Amino acid sequence: MIPILGYVTLALAFLLTVYGLMAAVMGLVNKSAAWTESARLALLLIFPLMTISVVTLIALLVNQRFDVSFVYSVTNLEMPLYLRVTALWGGQSGSLLFWSWLLAGFSLFFAVRKWQDAADLLPWTLIVVFFTLGFFLMLNVFMESPFERFWHLPDGSQALSVLQPAGAWPITPQDGQGLNPLLRHPGMIWHPPALYLGFVGFIIPFALAVGTLASGRRDLRWFEIARPWTLITWVFLSLGLVLGMRWAYDILGWGGYWGWDPVEIAALMPWLSATAFIHTNIMQRRNNAFRLWNLVLIILTFVLIIFGTFITRSGMLSSVHAFAGSEIGLPMFIFTALLSLGSLGLLIYRWSEFQTGYEPEFGFSKEVLTLFTNLVLLSILVVCFLGVIYPIISELLTDTQITVGPAWYKRILGPLLILLLLLVGICPLAAWSGTNLGRLKKRLWVLLPLSLLGPVAMGVFGGVRHWVVLVALWLVCFSILVIISDYLQKVSIAKLRTQEGLLSAIGAPIRRNHRRYGGVLVHLGIVLMSIGIIGIEGLQQETQVTLALGESVEIQGYTIRFEGLEHFDVGEGIFITEAVLTLNRGGKPVGALYPQREIYLNMGMAITQPGLRSNLAGDLYAVLIDWRPITQDEATFRIFYNPLVSWLWVGTGVLTIGVVVAILPDSFRRKKRFVP
Amino acid sequence: MAGKASHVSKSNRLKFIIGGGLFLVAVVFMVISATRATAEFFMTVGELQGSDGDLVGQNLRISGAVIGDSIQYDTGTGQLAFFIAHIPGDQDEIRDAGGLSYVLHRAVTDPDNPRLRILYQGAPPDMLRDEAQAILTGTLNPEGDFIAEELLLKCPSKYEEALPNQVEN
Repeated sequence: MIPILGYVTLALAFLLTVYGLMAAVMGLVNKSAAWTESARLALLLIFPLMTISVVTLIALLVNQRFDVSFVYSVTNLEMPLYLRVTALWGGQSGSLLFWSWLLAGFSLFFAVRKWQDAADLLPWTLIVVFFTLGFFLMLNVFMESPFERFWHLPDGSQALSVLQPAGAWPITPQDGQGLNPLLRHPGMIWHPPALYLGFVGFIIPFALAVGTLASGRRDLRWFEIARPWTLITWVFLSLGLVLGMRWAYDILGWGGYWGWDPVEIAALMPWLSATAFIHTNIMQRRNNAFRLWNLVLIILTFVLIIFGTFITRSGMLSSVHAFAGSEIGLPMFIFTALLSLGSLGLLIYRWSEFQTGYEPEFGFSKEVLTLFTNLVLLSILVVCFLGVIYPIISELLTDTQITVGPAWYKRILGPLLILLLLLVGICPLAAWSGTNLGRLKKRLWVLLPLSLLGPVAMGVFGGVRHWVVLVALWLVCFSILVIISDYLQKVSIAKLRTQEGLLSAIGAPIRRNHRRYGGVLVHLGIVLMSIGIIGIEGLQQETQVTLALGESVEIQGYTIRFEGLEHFDVGEGIFITEAVLTLNRGGKPVGALYPQREIYLNMGMAITQPGLRSNLAGDLYAVLIDWRPITQDEATFRIFYNPLVSWLWVGTGVLTIGVVVAILPDSFRRKKRFVP
Repeated sequence: MAGKASHVSKSNRLKFIIGGGLFLVAVVFMVISATRATAEFFMTVGELQGSDGDLVGQNLRISGAVIGDSIQYDTGTGQLAFFIAHIPGDQDEIRDAGGLSYVLHRAVTDPDNPRLRILYQGAPPDMLRDEAQAILTGTLNPEGDFIAEELLLKCPSKYEEALPNQVEN
């Protein structure tokens, strides 16, 4: 009766959201604190109930209960324990439950927090939370239940149902279909949860933004409450995107990590608007500016997340990542429309009231640069959106579907990304409300020639000739130098002013203003990540060779020699063929590559695992394509050299540390300031 | 803090409008030029065979069912060749005809179904097999073969059939 337990707790959670929504509305309409309190208590119960439901489903997956249709479709007897657990998000209904559960987890924040300082925001935020949670739970309870079982009906037909139909008896398959081999990868553990956390966490700033708009409260309280959660969610979204790239790089075997697929873009779009939001927010804190604009951006972010979920889960677009066609398309569309129109109506209603009339002076100031960054980020977003909906619009207008691909995105977004890199680089040179251009000139006289050393070295010793790549590399060097010189300047000021020791002075700028220097670290992370992107977009080399046994090929100073093939029967119906390629550099052996082909006999599928040798200068990436079946004395490989790609992962680490520094509580700096 | 807010001069605002405007014009220009150069027309195999050669050289995107027996890969030249069979381009049409896997199966087994030869420079992807849905981008050559630049095979990751066929055995 375990499936029924999971279903009943889920249904109870759904009923509680319906009750909570009503109670929150009553609290608002009757100005009754008791009703609002009742709604808050209802919210407190939803997460534990859903946890029981999720644990139940995991138990079914782990115990291989193939009579449950979801378990049947995503697991089989051969899968190891960790994959049986992660299969929770390996199919539509289970991943929807996982999504709702995380949403309920974040919503718990509203139930647990003390609201004395913002009691006026609570009823509205509760309404938003219950409405969103209720919608997703409704999908899980009525349309995509992961607890349905197979039944044999008395008339000989088969049916899917949670409860036993009258006179029916259960069907228990001996084995399940199993998870798609592409999903049987450690990436499955980290990428989906990180991405989901990066999506659902935006419920907190979104609900508070709607709350402050609806209640007419114009101060920044809503954002002060939401700030740490916004940044944590943003970093999870960033990590989710990068982990997905890493996974694609490790398993798809086409030498890259980003394919401009509609689903990838759907996840990138909220990242862009959220990034713009984080930037203009600093301006609202400083100048009480962009009050309305910030609300627009955070609402846009959440709407884009729901929109992305809609296009991924409705089967509307063809994509490698999309779920199979599903009945939840229409309700998801209605929900997306309701959310967008409702927020839009609210924004229009409060438009004049929330305007600030602030206008910065045009010039080389942080204000103007922030505004420009916003413009660039949103242009990228609009271009992405256009690319995703282009097929749909063109079909409506011209009857022929016109699609745009990677080449289209690269042509438009390449220059915009380089522009963003420039903005990141010059940002620390500008000051708030105007810059002393005289002093700036002096610094540039040192920094500009110094920064040219990087691209010149790459041109002379690295053999890089493409001018766009050289410009981009120069911007990277310039940005890093600006960030370092700026920081060193602050350290020397701290050292002079407080006579601190050098070690203590090095940490001083971060202690004084951890929010700012957290941000600087994030920028440094972005600059380092862009090195990896420049490497793969501008400098990737690719070759396909057929090598006889003992034959070798020269790539990027490496001599790659084909030593033979090995075959493994790892059981569970999986056969692996592995090629051994030894590497020599300057006559010395420096390791080997082991590209593999895994054949899943039971599923009639094969997976290509590249052989990878990675360091900060570049990755050798070899894919085993084919071999002579009987003699095995010849095999064909595609070999990539991906320069600098590791910097993408290094930069992600720096970015994460930066966000951690930025969200340290402010008391961290107060305490430290009094340390003698 | 908001002291400067009240001081709004017209020429200041004009600078923002001109600066932002120039930037947006540049973006719009890039979008138009990229669309001209790279946009692809989505067509079915049937539609393509109905046209009379005026599509040669145009960027195209084509969907069809892979005919497993026709897959040939030449390791020497690295060229992959196979045939795809016509399937409807519209999702609803596919659903009404009995779902994707059924449509793919029918497309491959029906000998009267229009077929198209695909040439691709590169290794056969893992998912290239009989009755897979291939989505290809590329151009048509004068001989009527499709030169694919990109080969996307519909991921079978979420094959959530309502009921397993072999449940009884």
